[in-house]
Amino acid sequence: MRAYWRFLVPAVITVIVLILLGFNLTSSLVYFNTPTELIAEDPGDSRLRLGGQVVPGTLTTTTEGVTFEVTDGRQAVRVLHTGAPQQLFQEGIGVVVEGTWDGQAFHSDTMLVKHDETYRSEDGSYDPDQPYGDDQDGA
Amino acid sequence: MPSEIRSRNWPWMAIVVSVAVALALAIVSPADTVQGELVRIMYVHVPAAWLAYLAFGVTLVGSVGYLVTRRLSWDRVAASSAEIGVYFTGLAIGLGMIWAKPTWGVWWTWDARLTLTAVMFFVYVGYLALRNTADESRVRAGRSAVLGILGAALIPLVHFSVVWWRTLHQPASLLRPDGPAIQDPLILWALLAGVVAFTVIYVALMAKRIELHRVADRIRDVERSANRPVAGASVTAPELGGGLGDG
Repeated sequence: MRAYWRFLVPAVITVIVLILLGFNLTSSLVYFNTPTELIAEDPGDSRLRLGGQVVPGTLTTTTEGVTFEVTDGRQAVRVLHTGAPQQLFQEGIGVVVEGTWDGQAFHSDTMLVKHDETYRSEDGSYDPDQPYGDDQDGA
Repeated sequence: MPSEIRSRNWPWMAIVVSVAVALALAIVSPADTVQGELVRIMYVHVPAAWLAYLAFGVTLVGSVGYLVTRRLSWDRVAASSAEIGVYFTGLAIGLGMIWAKPTWGVWWTWDARLTLTAVMFFVYVGYLALRNTADESRVRAGRSAVLGILGAALIPLVHFSVVWWRTLHQPASLLRPDGPAIQDPLILWALLAGVVAFTVIYVALMAKRIELHRVADRIRDVERSANRPVAGASVTAPELGGGLGDG
C-alpha cells in the first residue's frame, strides 16, 4: 500500500499544478496581443504587450524615439515608441512593444525584437498563432 | 594490450572528431542576414537544449525500467542522465541569455518557453536533491523513479510551448512538422554537426558516470558488510551522561 501512496501523492499534486497552469495562467502564457486583438478588445488604460511585424515604409524617427506601424497581416497599428530602438530593429522584423493603447496609436516605452525561426528575410503575412504557416500558402 | 587501450579511448576519440567537425562548420558557415554573427550561438544553444530533452527522456526510461525490473542498474542510468541533463539545461539557459540580450534586448523574460525551461531545470535539480533523502539504495531508487517519470511531462511541455502559447522565443527551426526552416545548407549542417557532437559527448559522459555510480554502489556495499559485525545489533551505542541526549 505504501508504494501506491508514494506514487499517488506526487501524482495528485502534479495534476493540480497542471490544472492551475492550464486554466489560470492561460492568458498570462500569451506573451503578446496582435493588432487585430488590440482593436477588437480595446484594453483601455491597462498596460499590455503588442506584437507583430514592422510594416516596411512606415518607419520614421521622432524626437523621442521612433514611430512605425505593426501588423499581423490583417490589421495595422501605429506605434509611438519612446526611447532608443533595439539593435536588430528594422523594417520587416518582428517586434513586441509594451505600453498603452489610446484608440488611435499605441504608446510604447519598452521594445523587444522577436526574431523568427526561419533564418531568412520574412515576407508575406505574419500570424503568431500559426508559427508553421496555415494551409493557404501566403494567404 | 593496445586493443584494450584503444577500446578505452573510444569516447575521447569520438568526442575529438565530432567536436572538431562541428567547430569547423560553425566557423566556416555564413552569418545570418538579420542576426549576423549572433547566429553562431545557435550551434551550441540548440544542441544543449536537445541534450536536456534526450537526457531527461533517458531518465524517464531508466525510471520506468527500475519500477518494472527492480534492478538498480536502471536507477543508475536514470540518475546519471538526470545529472547530465541538469548541466545541459543550465548551459542552454545561459547560452540563450547571451543570445537574447543582443537579439531581443533583454537577458530574460517570463514567456512560456523560458518559464517552463526554468521549471524543468529546478524540477530536475529537485530530482538530484531527492536522491540524497534516502540512504537505502532501493528506497532512493523508488522515490527517484516516481519523480523521474512525473518530471518527464515537462519535456513535451517545454518543446511545444512555442506552438501552444504565443511566446517571444521563436518556434523550433529543426524539429518542426514541415522540415527544417533553415535555408542556408551550411547553417543547417553546422547545427546538425553540433547536435551530433553534443550527443557523442552525452554518450561518453553517460558511460563514465554510470561506471562511477556502479563503483560507488559497490564500495558502499563493501563498507556496509564490513561494518556489520562491529556495529551490528549486538553492539549498542555508549550512553552519554548529562541528560542532554535526545535519545
